[in-house]
This record gives sequence, C-alpha cells and structure tokens, in this order.
Amino acid sequence: MSTCTTILVLLSLFFCIRHTRLASANPRPPQTCSIAIFLGSGGHTTEALKLVSALDFGRYSPRTYIVSKGDTFSAQKALALEHIKAADHAFSDDQPQYKLLFIPRARRVHQSLLSTPPDAVKSLLACMRIVAVRPLFKKGAFRQPFVDLLILNGPGTCVILCITIFLNRLIGLPSPRVMYVESFARVKSLSLSGKLLYHFTDRFVVQWPGLVQPGGREIYRGCLV
Amino acid sequence: MLVFVTVGSTRFDALVEASISEPVLSTLRDSGYDRLIIQRGNSVIESSEEFNGESCTIQRHGVDIEIWRFKPFIQAECEQADLVISHAGSGTILDVLRLGKPLIVVPNPTLLDNHQEELASALQILGHLKATSIQDLASTIASFEPRDLVPFPPFDGTKFSKLVDEEMGFI
Repeated sequence: MSTCTTILVLLSLFFCIRHTRLASANPRPPQTCSIAIFLGSGGHTTEALKLVSALDFGRYSPRTYIVSKGDTFSAQKALALEHIKAADHAFSDDQPQYKLLFIPRARRVHQSLLSTPPDAVKSLLACMRIVAVRPLFKKGAFRQPFVDLLILNGPGTCVILCITIFLNRLIGLPSPRVMYVESFARVKSLSLSGKLLYHFTDRFVVQWPGLVQPGGREIYRGCLV
Repeated sequence: MLVFVTVGSTRFDALVEASISEPVLSTLRDSGYDRLIIQRGNSVIESSEEFNGESCTIQRHGVDIEIWRFKPFIQAECEQADLVISHAGSGTILDVLRLGKPLIVVPNPTLLDNHQEELASALQILGHLKATSIQDLASTIASFEPRDLVPFPPFDGTKFSKLVDEEMGFI
C-alpha cells in the first residue's frame, strides 16, 4: 500500500515538474498585465531597465522592481525610468503604478562560501514572503499570483526568486510566468544563472545566435538591449 | 582631434598605463590626435603617482592629457571624441556604438571567466568595432580606419515588447 502511495506521489511530482512550465501558457489577455523585474545591480540592472523601457507602461501595469538591499544604484535607475515614462505618457504621478521591493542578497561578490548558505536562506524566505505568502492575504485577489509576469536576467539572487516560483507551482499556488533574458555580454556560453534556470523558466531568451542549440528551448530575436 | 579612453568604473591598470605610454602617445599624435581624456575608474597608475588624484592635466609626447578618476557625464566626452578606446564591458560598448563613435576595445585579460574577449571578437567579426590587446594597441591605432566600421543598429524596443506581448497572450 505504502509503495503504491510513494509511486503515486513520485509520479504526480514528476508530472508537475514536466508540466508546470506550460500549465498557464498564453493566458487570455486581460486589459493590463502586472509585471515584476529583478534588478541584479550594475550591468544587469542597466540591461533589465532597457528591456522594461521597451514595454507599453499602460498595458504592463503595475510594475514591481525587486532590488537587493543596499543597491541604491538600481533603485535610483528604476525611479529615473519611471519618471521619464511618466513624463512621456503624461501619467499622473499622484498614484504611481510601480513599487520597489527590497530583498536580502543571496551572495555578495567575493563572499566566502561558508557564510553564503545563511544569507541564501534569508533571501529565500524574503522571496517566499513576496511570491507565496503575501498574495494569500491580499484583499479581493484570491488565487491571483503576486504578478502576471516576472522578468529575470541574473545574477545570483534571481535564482532564489525563480526557485520560489517553482515551489509555488509545485504546491499549486498561483504563480507568475517567468521570462529569463540572458545578458548581451554572453556570446558563446550561458552565465551560471542562465544554466541553473534554463529548465525552470517559461521563456528563455538569448541575444546571440551562437547560444541557440538545435532543438533547444531558447529564443533568439537579435540584440534586445 | 580628441581620443577618449575609459575603463568604466572597473580597474584596468594596464590599459591606462598603455594609453599614456610613449608608443601609443606618439602614434596618436602621428594620426592627428592631439587631445586625450582618460577615465581611469579604479585603475592605479604606478608609473606616475601624480595621476592618481581625482583629476590631473599634463602634456606628453605632443598630446594634451587629462586624467579623471570618474567623469560624471561620460556621454559628453564620448560625443566630443573622434575615437573611443575602452575596456570590453558590454555596457560601455553598447553606449559608445549607439553614439556612432569609432571604437577600439581592449578586453581585460586579468578577469576570471573572461567573456569580454568573446563579446569583443564577436562584434569585431560583425565589423562594429576593432578589438586589440595591450601589446598591439599602438599598431592598431596606426592602422585604424573608422570609415571601414559597420554602423551598429539603433535600439529597437519592439523586439522585446513583441516577445512579451506574445508570451502574455496580447498577440
């Protein structure tokens, strides 16, 4: 009996993992679509904001910028983009259609490997709070994911964020679609974040033709930044 | 004519040292460049201690040199420049190419897991810039023909917005 149950559980887990990716493919379009963008500092932030700047802010609203604690560069750049867009589209600044969320860094550059796990756990808990816990308590939005689409482009902490989304899907909670865009700097090989997230995103986008494998799931549409 | 050398906010001592070396300065002067502005970022110039302040002006081998640690608006320097020489960071490369400036890049060989080299050579194959090394910088400048470069396409946001519209079912 217990063997049977174990096999059933394993099978359903396997089914989940194989199919969660495509479970919510191409939802019927609502009027607007909420998005979140992880800003990974420095060049990652510059590229991520360049991508976001291409979107129609009337349609992709509200926008949530997820920033590592202490990364004032990214926070300022996000605010600057919002101000430019608001001026362009004459949006009123009274009711901003965006917010900034800060999460602890999973791993700092040059951080010793020994001290990484506790920081990664802190980061994971913060991500789970945003992705899984908060939406459950949101008034009038039962069974709505925290956003409709999450855009990631590395580094480190974005992997934690993606893991949280995946856990969410495994237990059947509403989850955003996840799009990963590899950096323009990666010509011949994927970054570590890219390699880790390759199978765990709904859309995996690269910016150089050399990264497209025959039969692979990556999408190439030229330089996007 | 003005040359602008930048390493962004990174540290690339060898490129900054090379750009104030006699062979490079003489080549620049012979090619008609009489002004050189350098943003050294966090690079340290061991040969000349006086260059390591916030900014410094000097004349050497017939070239007027300004060295800055950080320039607040490097876009202005790029716009004025007739030639830009930079590290091969993707952000700097995109900024300079989008301004339509002739660009020579020197990938930093001391970086671990070096992708600068790959990006530089991929863009060189497409004809958008010239990639070289510290050793060959002077000879690259001497033989550099800005007119042979292929203009880099301007930023086209529709590619990404279409991708996202498709993903979310708007198209």
